[in-house]
Amino acid sequence: MNGANASAGDPRHHPGARGRDGAADGAEHAPGPAVDPVTVEIVRNALIAAADDMNATLMRSAYTPVIYECGDCVVALLDDEHQVLGQSAGLPIFLGNLESCTRATEERFGRDAWRPGDVWILNDSYLGGTHLNDVTIFGPVFVGGELAGFTATRAHWIDVGSKDPGGSMDSVTIFQEGLRMGPQKLVAGGHEVPGVVDTIATNVRFPYPTTGDMNAMVATIRMGQVRLAQIVERFGLATVRAAREEIFRQTEALERAVIARIPDGVYTAEGFLDNDGIDLDTPVAVRLRVTVAGSELTFDVTESADQTTGPVNCGVAQAVSACRVGYKLLVSPDVPGNGGSFRPLHVRVREGSVFGARPPAACQWYFSHLGLLIDLVAKALAPALPDRVAAASHGDSMVVMFAGTDPRVARDYVSLEATLGGWGAWRGSDGQDALINNVNGSLKDLPVEVFEARYPLRVTHYGIRPDSGGPGRWRGGNGVVREYTALADCTVSLWFERSVTPAWGLAGGRDAVGPEVVVNPGRPDERRMLKCNGLPLRAGDVVRCATGGGGGYGDAAERAPEAVRADVLDRQVSPGYAARVYGVSDPVPGAGAEEGVAGQVQS
Amino acid sequence: MGDLRVAMDIGGTFTDVVVYDEGTGGYRAGKAATTPQDLTRGVVTALESVVGPGDEVGFLVHGTTQGLNALLQRTGARVLLLASAGAADTYHIARGPRERLYDLHYRKPEPLVPLRDVVAVGGRLDAAGAEIEPLDEDAVRRAAARFRAEGFTALAVGYLFSHVNPAHELRTRELLVQELGEDLTVSLSHEAANEWREYERTSSAVLEAYIGPVVQHYLTGLTGTLTRRKATAGAPLHVMQSSGGVISAETARRRPLQTLLSGPVGGTMGGVALARTLRRPNLVCVDMGGTSFDVSLVVDGAPDVAAEARLEGLPVLMSVVDIHTIGAGGGSVAYTEAGGLRVGPRSAGADPGPVCYGRGGTEPTVTDANLVLGRLDGAGFAGGRLPLDADRAEGALGALGERLGLSARAMAEGVCDVANAKMAQAIRTITVSRGIEPNRFSLVAFGGAGPMHSVFLARELGIGEVIVPRFPGALSAWGMLQTEIRRDFAEPYLSRDADLDGADLAARLTRAAERALRSLDSEGVPADRRRARAFVDIRYAAQEYTLTVPLTSPEEPAGADFPRVVAERFAAQHRERYGHANPGAPIEFTTLRVTALGDLGRAAPEPLAAASDPAFPVRHRPVVFGGAPERTAVVARADLRAGHAFAGPAVVTEPTATTVVPPGHRVAVDAFGSLVVQEEAA
Repeated sequence: MNGANASAGDPRHHPGARGRDGAADGAEHAPGPAVDPVTVEIVRNALIAAADDMNATLMRSAYTPVIYECGDCVVALLDDEHQVLGQSAGLPIFLGNLESCTRATEERFGRDAWRPGDVWILNDSYLGGTHLNDVTIFGPVFVGGELAGFTATRAHWIDVGSKDPGGSMDSVTIFQEGLRMGPQKLVAGGHEVPGVVDTIATNVRFPYPTTGDMNAMVATIRMGQVRLAQIVERFGLATVRAAREEIFRQTEALERAVIARIPDGVYTAEGFLDNDGIDLDTPVAVRLRVTVAGSELTFDVTESADQTTGPVNCGVAQAVSACRVGYKLLVSPDVPGNGGSFRPLHVRVREGSVFGARPPAACQWYFSHLGLLIDLVAKALAPALPDRVAAASHGDSMVVMFAGTDPRVARDYVSLEATLGGWGAWRGSDGQDALINNVNGSLKDLPVEVFEARYPLRVTHYGIRPDSGGPGRWRGGNGVVREYTALADCTVSLWFERSVTPAWGLAGGRDAVGPEVVVNPGRPDERRMLKCNGLPLRAGDVVRCATGGGGGYGDAAERAPEAVRADVLDRQVSPGYAARVYGVSDPVPGAGAEEGVAGQVQS
Repeated sequence: MGDLRVAMDIGGTFTDVVVYDEGTGGYRAGKAATTPQDLTRGVVTALESVVGPGDEVGFLVHGTTQGLNALLQRTGARVLLLASAGAADTYHIARGPRERLYDLHYRKPEPLVPLRDVVAVGGRLDAAGAEIEPLDEDAVRRAAARFRAEGFTALAVGYLFSHVNPAHELRTRELLVQELGEDLTVSLSHEAANEWREYERTSSAVLEAYIGPVVQHYLTGLTGTLTRRKATAGAPLHVMQSSGGVISAETARRRPLQTLLSGPVGGTMGGVALARTLRRPNLVCVDMGGTSFDVSLVVDGAPDVAAEARLEGLPVLMSVVDIHTIGAGGGSVAYTEAGGLRVGPRSAGADPGPVCYGRGGTEPTVTDANLVLGRLDGAGFAGGRLPLDADRAEGALGALGERLGLSARAMAEGVCDVANAKMAQAIRTITVSRGIEPNRFSLVAFGGAGPMHSVFLARELGIGEVIVPRFPGALSAWGMLQTEIRRDFAEPYLSRDADLDGADLAARLTRAAERALRSLDSEGVPADRRRARAFVDIRYAAQEYTLTVPLTSPEEPAGADFPRVVAERFAAQHRERYGHANPGAPIEFTTLRVTALGDLGRAAPEPLAAASDPAFPVRHRPVVFGGAPERTAVVARADLRAGHAFAGPAVVTEPTATTVVPPGHRVAVDAFGSLVVQEEAA
């Protein structure tokens, strides 16, 4: 029987040419008749590696740090039915919405629109789902004259010509947010379409790095085309398709097995954004209703707020992505994504809501309510999956932007930072202090030494914010305090969120402290605010930004006293707070001496 | 001075010693089991296996894992960290990225110092290094008192902007020495890593303080032991550095950070030496052991050296040969998931190890698959010290195969095919991120398991040639004999090209080069064998990452057309590394680097005696290739001479490694005894 291998004895035998082993037919988990399990696994890994190679190409050749350092991008290989064959980890919020771009293109222009050597571009918020800065570039892959699939990449462009550089915090219509492109050919038959690149370059503020990033993205999808073609040529399209079905089946089976363990029922959660950035007094509701039935999950967000005047809106595709992120965090964190992923997930979105915005709704801050939605998935399912969830994190990007002229070099500058915060505790562990929020992926903070060398401001304090994490048997992570002193006149813009719904605790754990921004603390002109656009500052003015903590897990009364004392020693918890909240009032050994140290770093 | 040059390399399982005799031009190799409790013991045992009391050693170089072990096992010093008040939490904030995006339970890398052991010290400089607030000397003295009272064993100091102006850090050390005495490990961040970015610099200083006492104690003990032995009494001990060069043990005691990756880089430096000897400038070096699979690149004859590395998630700013570790090896486990086959990254490790070790392992591994296929000789494994149980391996693969509808043998070959495909893909992704397609490279295979898989990897990668050097199990030790003394120095220099003062830059570099060359005084390098190389880290303005651009000399920036020349050089390098460049865009200088190199002579490659007879002893055994057993030549490497050649299928055996040559390939033994495997023309 073993000699039955079709290519036995062929010294050039390649796994791809593997014949079928007769015994496969009787196996319990036998895949389709055309492909053996070894070939399936080699194809599966080859597709994952092809996506990795695309990602490596993008990282290597991108111009702007937001891509190669922050990882604000994603790549994918799709089959000819727009199903994911392989994708990079990428930015979570981009999960699974590249296929909506190729689908939308096909719906608009028909399947015949796909031609060899073509490259397409799209950034329309209502099709791609995100803000206009997120540009998707994609193209078909033909092998032997046949459409074998697509490769696609999405990356954040630093500027697309919005009314303010980089993007606005107070836009009320998409027409303020920059250049908007539906599906548009960038390259036709291997030749650049005349005028398109020029049009883009004349509509953005930084044409050089922008076209550089665009070229990097084109190189990325080309790399994917080469890899996908190599895989199809090596194994044959029929084998790849048969392997694909088995790969998808495996992924679906893994996910369904997890969902099947969740008790059937309806689980709900709701939370509120502080506001939409324009009408500062009206919170924006996000309501999630999860229905579990067998191995099927339905996420219903139709009861959420109507689309807003300000820029916290997004297209349906992006709402689906956020639901997938929430799902993946709980159901399949370690399973590589492909067309078999998310098959048990159904998403219900209402047109005209913040999750199904209609033109011309502003979409610049599309991620604030999506980040909340992702967090709410874990909240809703916490009773069913107590070991997999975590209490909420500080939640949003907490953006600080300064602009002005640096007198040291007489040059204009714009600084833009997202600020770290606390993450939620989970059963068995305290939450982590000072981490970036979900939507910003692997972004790092800007070192004080880099910040001060580059901008005429001093970071007068940067440290962990004690007592900000939610109390619990396991304590929520603490946020941070970052305090700036202006050395020259400038303006500040702020987007801080989650004061109305700070990070919640779970299983008896308590909520965290929310964010707080104070301008000129302790001075007669002290002001508090969480959002502003271009507030003027004078040299010597101080902006103190404090981010929220993460929620606690379990009853604070059950926290081990030695853990509380350790927190006091580590200045994570003040002695007074330890006594008040945890009832641990016996002095920590040497606490008298510690008081002075704590005093030096207090916010 | 004696005429033996000796390299001693500590590995996870074995400590290897390679001896080069300058008199005869010959090499010999020895080994002993690594003794984790007291590494010196294994080193001495290995040394004695090849160096007798009558021998006289003139040069000793050592690759040690002592510092790395202390880090991995968290058995380093208890460190008190002094940090700038107002930014004292920097080390724990750790810049806050989430490296695993879909993990709600993500944790930061575990810091080496708990927050309570960070002391905030007042005193502040601005970005230009000017003092805004004087150093709080009382706070330093209080820290010294605490150090003494609470039993700390090392100190690290990381102040903001110390890379621009080290005065506060230097004064801090003075005060600490006044309070605590000279015999003290104090790591200042600007000395550990003289570059901007306070978290990374502080992390480097903490790491150096953490491993410092352990490495110092070890090197002192080893030096003493070697000095007491007659054969080695007159030989200065050198230590391999992460950068690929060596330093004296005395310098390593003062600057232990550079010893962290002392062991693994030897293999890459062996690759560099092979590139020179074999005139093949571009190599993919593959070191496969039981649990790990390390890949490094030699490009244009030079190792890939990075200016920053991460160990256990903690950043460290130092020159380090880039080694990529892939979770694959002989111990990778094959299993099913949702009815599909998976191979690795889960590993059976050394304990229980593969099923065939008979130590209780039940899940089949890649080693088991190689054994069942006949590619691995169960009786001769590890020189016959560990006989392998092929029946047990076949049973485990058979059970797995049953679940997937495959025979044990088809299952075994499938496991190898999947493992090879995954390893090859990982190598390709590494090269793609450097802008290289691997097919213009040769593949060098070493380590115990590397030569068994290398020809299959090469085929997957489109690489036409595989080289298996002599002593593949000891290439790392051999590589250490091929290196130079190396000291690296850096200093910050922040300037845009438009604002550049070329004369000032040249003067700084010249001073730095003079200092660097003087540092070789203590390395015993004769004056006529020293040279210095100057580099500048450059980036496009507003970019984050830099490229290290070589200068023709430290004085080059004084030249009138330097700005144009260096911009073009940077652009060319940028294009090669990233695939594009932006000629004419403003560029920014960030860091000056000087490397001092001292040539202490190298061991020459030893030619292998030419074959006097084209024939050599051959046995045959069946080995499975392409689904069926084939009559395969089994050749002992010891029987091969330069000029011998034969066709696959073949298996070449030696005590530490097995080279598998599938059908359709041809092996030639070159003048230095390397096996050169090439695909036969169709």
